[in-house]
Amino acid sequence: MPRTSYDVSTSVKLKYVKLVYQYLVNNLLSVVLVPIMGSVLFKLLLLSPDEILNLWESFQFDSIRILCSLFVVVFMSTIYFMSKPRSVYLVDYACYKPPISCRVPFSTFMEHSRLILSTEPKSVEFQMRILERSGLGEDTCLPPAIHYIPLAPNMEAARQEAEMVIFSAMDSLLEKTGLKPKDIDILIVNCSLFSPTPSLSAMVINKYKMRGNIKSFNLSGMGCSAGLISIDLARDLLQVHHNSNAIVVSTEIITPNYYQGKERSMLVPNCLFRMGGAAILLSNRRADRGRAKYRLLQVVRTHRGADDKAYRCVYEEDDPQGKSGISLSKDLMRIAGDALKSNITTIGPLVLPASEQLLFVLAIIARKVFSSHLRPYIPDFKQAFEHFCIHAGGRAVIDELQKNLDLSAENVEASRMTLHRFGNTSSSSLWYELSYIEAKGRMRKGDRIWQIAFGSGFKCNSAVWKCNKTIKTPADGPWFDCIHKYPVHIPEVVKF
Amino acid sequence: MKLHYLKAIYYFGNQAFEGLTTLNIKEHMFILLNYFPAICGRFRRTESGRPYIKCNDCGVRFIEAKCEKTMDEWLEMMKENASIEKYLTPNQIIGPELAFSPTVLVQFTKFKCGGMSVGLSWAHVLGDAFSAAEFMNTLGKVVADEKPNRHINLAQMKTKSTNTKSPIKIMEDPLSIKRVGPVGDNWLTVNNCKMEAFSFSVNDTQLSHFQSKISSKGTNFTPFEALSAVIWQCIAKIRPESEPKVVTICKKSEQNKVDGNNQLISVVKADYPIVEVDPSELAALMKNASFDEREKIEIAIKKDDGVSDFIVYGANLTFVNLEEVKCYEFEYRKQKPVYVGYRLDGISDSGAVLLLPGPPKNGGRTVVAILPEDEVIELKSELKSEWFMD
Repeated sequence: MPRTSYDVSTSVKLKYVKLVYQYLVNNLLSVVLVPIMGSVLFKLLLLSPDEILNLWESFQFDSIRILCSLFVVVFMSTIYFMSKPRSVYLVDYACYKPPISCRVPFSTFMEHSRLILSTEPKSVEFQMRILERSGLGEDTCLPPAIHYIPLAPNMEAARQEAEMVIFSAMDSLLEKTGLKPKDIDILIVNCSLFSPTPSLSAMVINKYKMRGNIKSFNLSGMGCSAGLISIDLARDLLQVHHNSNAIVVSTEIITPNYYQGKERSMLVPNCLFRMGGAAILLSNRRADRGRAKYRLLQVVRTHRGADDKAYRCVYEEDDPQGKSGISLSKDLMRIAGDALKSNITTIGPLVLPASEQLLFVLAIIARKVFSSHLRPYIPDFKQAFEHFCIHAGGRAVIDELQKNLDLSAENVEASRMTLHRFGNTSSSSLWYELSYIEAKGRMRKGDRIWQIAFGSGFKCNSAVWKCNKTIKTPADGPWFDCIHKYPVHIPEVVKF
Repeated sequence: MKLHYLKAIYYFGNQAFEGLTTLNIKEHMFILLNYFPAICGRFRRTESGRPYIKCNDCGVRFIEAKCEKTMDEWLEMMKENASIEKYLTPNQIIGPELAFSPTVLVQFTKFKCGGMSVGLSWAHVLGDAFSAAEFMNTLGKVVADEKPNRHINLAQMKTKSTNTKSPIKIMEDPLSIKRVGPVGDNWLTVNNCKMEAFSFSVNDTQLSHFQSKISSKGTNFTPFEALSAVIWQCIAKIRPESEPKVVTICKKSEQNKVDGNNQLISVVKADYPIVEVDPSELAALMKNASFDEREKIEIAIKKDDGVSDFIVYGANLTFVNLEEVKCYEFEYRKQKPVYVGYRLDGISDSGAVLLLPGPPKNGGRTVVAILPEDEVIELKSELKSEWFMD
């Protein structure tokens, strides 16, 4: 039904009301203080100089009082500055770009699937349907070992993939930042499904000949949200270690985990997971403040593992034929929604402007007092953030979050396009998305970014960053040769 | 042409592929395939049943192999038994699932000495040997970082042959093709006997000796005509009950630089017994065979909208002139191949003879004959005794 001019003027009026309300509540302090100070100043101006001098004398300042007050001020400021958490800066980051020879178009994927699962046409049909609706494009990449018919995944191939991805990202990062490997103080590597001995972090230390007293950590098994867990760990370590930097490497090694059986719940990851990795440099040094791209404001972690259903919703196990794979339960979307809700309940008060928080509280009161059938108020997170990086776990995840948080198509564009171009690269997808926003030239100083990641467990982790300086469109990076093609329209179902 | 397959093997010494990993080789092939979208596609069928290629970027099948012999040992073994060469090329046919059957397969075989052979299996339906050679030569250019001079054109415009007559209703099929029973989705010629290939080379001196021996009345015959006439007679001798009176000739068309099946197909009929006649007469017949049957063939195929199956090579004894195929121009990292072998698969029982250029060092020609296996030994002895070729 076309909107009448009455509707239009009503909605415009509502918009103004909303704007005025937001300005009043968000700037409450200034709205209250400014008139008070104004009236005091006015009164002062009315007094004559003698009266002002009398007023001053009545305060009875003498040297001891002045000294004491000065001492108190200095003492309080010292305590404040010392107990303030150290600012953690993201100096720069680099994403891995796979070589073109690892590319897997739809038709290639289907042909391989047909040849490998030649005895299971129904499973092949199923994979085709998933791929059609997945939101992936024709440029996503799988590691070389997975291109063989039949597959040739062995430990050596998995190590080679790890070396290819991690070393490439690290080389790129070290070149961009001019950092010497011997200057790295903390190294955290996260890779969920491949955990050899010696660890991947030891592999990095060996390749780059890092210092003997480096603090290295290797996180495995923590799923797609492990990237933000590593950032959280790095932040905590940087509170303890003064004047240090930390490198976080997030990746997922696909070679050993490509499912070769026929169970449908386990075939879905094959269709979605692709090669990718990222290396990030964090620092708490004052010298890096000027050149850092982002500052870390918050990290909020929510774990739903206490609930059995959530715990089992992404579960690695053997199928009846003995082939191991990751099974996704049908409740995945519902559990993701619940995890998101608890995460935003925690993060909301930390980031939302006062106006939204007040509305949210009032809505809760209204629901309690009047009726619980009232729709719950979803705070408008678009007021708290300029950019959103939603983990590109799959089309359904992005759709679900867009609906739940009432985000526009432009807000989720980075996530959808990353899913299209790179597939689900697990913990590193957030960095590809951030890279997309930079490549589009949309990142300005002062912009706030919200990174949300979901992972097995079931976990929902968020990180909030603030842009430190306006970022020029980079001349390198994973998007530089294809950014002009994006955004693309991704149809609901791709027929091939 | 869909039941025929072209096989090409290029032998390289160790310097060409030294230090290269599979990933390096594949990277160049990915760039190469950007220029050949039709090769990366797969066959589908329309509602009427006619097959077409969907350019869906599926790609070329890549096979890695290892050989425990050195390349020299292998080439020695080949002299005695040429059929072992089939292990160096992929031998997969199109079918039973058209949508998942690659039309081009490439096999890289590493020899013990470090040499590498590149075996190509090329479905003839994509194009003739000239197109296949062009494909490989373009790979060489891509590896050398040169930009290939190719336009990506998907719509192949065929020029009509020069014999344009008013459309007459032609009821029977032309002699150059043979209708075969519906092969369905298994694109394979069914033979009554096993076909075997053998090859021999003719160097420049032998060749000129031949040509002079055959020439008569002042007409000079090309190497193709001379050699084909000789082999025709030899084969007639070993097939006394069914002398090949009709012979198909395939040679390069002068027009059309576009890839595809552009060979001139003509038919030569001899009304007299082949065995007794002078080979120069046969050569003369071949020289004068200029009637291009391609239009007739197209009409025959269009009769039922391209659904029936036909064969060309082996419908009659077929002679294919591949003298001008630029097979030795394929350079990998500035290394030329030591030896190049081409053959055809899916040849029907009458057999086929290919004439290829010889290795640049020796010059001359290489002749590859694909015949029923019983005839191979007889032909070899015939050629040796009559014409001193081995």
